[in-house]
Amino acid sequence: MIDFVNVKKAYPNGTMALKGVNLHIDEGEFVFIVGHSGAGKTTIMKLLLREEKISSGQLIVGGHDLAAMSNYKVPYYRRELGVVFQDFRLFPKKTVFENVAFAMEVVGTPRKKIVRRVPAILNTVNLAGKQDSFPNEISGGEQQRVALARALANNPKIIIADEPTGNIDPKMSLEIMSLLMKINKLGKTVIVVTHEKNLVDYYKQRVVMLKDGLIVEDHVGGMFQ
Amino acid sequence: MKRYNIFYFIGQAFAGLWRNGVMSFASVAVLMSCLVVIGGFSLIVKNIDLNLEQFGNLNEIVVFCNTEATEEEIVAVGEQIGKLDNIASIRRITKAEGLAQMKAEYDVYDDVSEENNPLPDSYEITYVDTEKVGELDYQLHQIEGITKVNNRLDLATSIESVKSGVMLIFVWFLAILSVVSVFIIINTIKLSVFARRHEISIMRYVGATSWFITLPFIFEGIIIGLFSSVIAYFAEWYIYSYIETMVMADLQMISILTFAEIKNTVLFGFMGLGVVAGIIGSSISLSKYLKS
Ligand SMILES: Nc1ncnc2c1ncn2[C@@H]1O[C@H](COP(=O)(O)OP(=O)(O)OP(=O)(O)O)[C@@H](O)[C@H]1O
Ligand SMILES: [Mg+2]
Repeated sequence: MIDFVNVKKAYPNGTMALKGVNLHIDEGEFVFIVGHSGAGKTTIMKLLLREEKISSGQLIVGGHDLAAMSNYKVPYYRRELGVVFQDFRLFPKKTVFENVAFAMEVVGTPRKKIVRRVPAILNTVNLAGKQDSFPNEISGGEQQRVALARALANNPKIIIADEPTGNIDPKMSLEIMSLLMKINKLGKTVIVVTHEKNLVDYYKQRVVMLKDGLIVEDHVGGMFQ
Repeated sequence: MKRYNIFYFIGQAFAGLWRNGVMSFASVAVLMSCLVVIGGFSLIVKNIDLNLEQFGNLNEIVVFCNTEATEEEIVAVGEQIGKLDNIASIRRITKAEGLAQMKAEYDVYDDVSEENNPLPDSYEITYVDTEKVGELDYQLHQIEGITKVNNRLDLATSIESVKSGVMLIFVWFLAILSVVSVFIIINTIKLSVFARRHEISIMRYVGATSWFITLPFIFEGIIIGLFSSVIAYFAEWYIYSYIETMVMADLQMISILTFAEIKNTVLFGFMGLGVVAGIIGSSISLSKYLKS
């Protein structure tokens, strides 16, 4: 499903963010990506989203060679991905329903289908009943679940989350993580960047550790001793 | 399968215009002023052309015979003219024909009858070579029985030079004003894009195409163009009608197109220019998004 082959990434200012990453992720896997600040975790997410292009090596996602992909195909490729950010990035003036519906509207989904699908997704993320609330009327954890629902809206194969619990109450972090696990059980490939050691230990999933742009550990079963 | 609703884009465009009220207003005001000036110049040029046309064929000279000349003398004058070089055609206009022409054009001739006709016989001459018209003019003056030679060359050249002067200023104005209009539209759309940058970034993440993202802004440019053109049309109408009545009253020898004759040209011309300016302006400010 996802294949990084000796991927290097240099930013225009010369920073080498990735120095030769080899990473294979199968369909349906759940992967934590950890590492200290500046290790290159977000860079990996940006490469996956084709927000940035790799400098050398090869990156194949769902059969697409991202280095060779032409710009006009990028939007269609992104519909195969769902993304969640640390800061939620919801529209404050749209309701929960509208925030989720937005992702479907912009790819031209007929209204009928939107009206049918949005409540179902909100149900998946345990937000049934909140669909008419505005983001400032719900908790951080709930806002992040709205963002997660939006990521799921176009039924992507891969969900990527960059520090999804970074901005929310630690007590709520577990809830977000367990939702991501649930989504993984529904068949989606899930990649989560996180700093929360206790959660990583708790779930005992595959953990990939980055350090200064290189993978220094890649094993299944929780944190590092 | 995928259906995009045009009203979505137009709705977004109006929302953007509203959000940037001041800038939108400024764009409309500037673009409108530019259109009015451009339109004004075009109309001046058009009216000059009209007047040039009405002065008749420019390579034409009219000579008048002595009022008391006898029929033989007049025919003799015609024969002498015919012998000159550089003559393309020659046509006699009898005093009766002359009077009929004048009666048709001017009311003051209403009371004049064939008996007290004050007009002389004349010849309308067209010539071949404009360069040698000075020579021809001289030769015509030498012919006995010709009292007056009406050579329109001077007038024609002075009108032509006014026209080319106006055209020159016009072209400069057109260039400068186009740049100014497009520039202000670029900035308006840039502000509008800036106001929606978060929304745009999310649209990109969820896979909206560049067209989907940029179309509302293109529409915004088009709406600015259309608004400006309609307001400019009414402004031009008002100004032109004012000038029209002034010219009609004071400068009767100049003919001027009425606004009714040109209103469609003005309206559609303005709309065309306005929309083009809007599209160019918004496309430039969106080039970043249209590329990737
Ligand atoms: N747009 C950019 N231009 C230049 N350098 C960048 C850019 N983005 C990231 N970097 C640099 O690349 C390196 C990796 O950054 P990255 O954002 O991937 O780290 P990270 O692992 O996500 O860190 P954090 O845990 O702080 O979010 C850092 O040295 C960072 O300064
Ligand atoms: Mg990061």
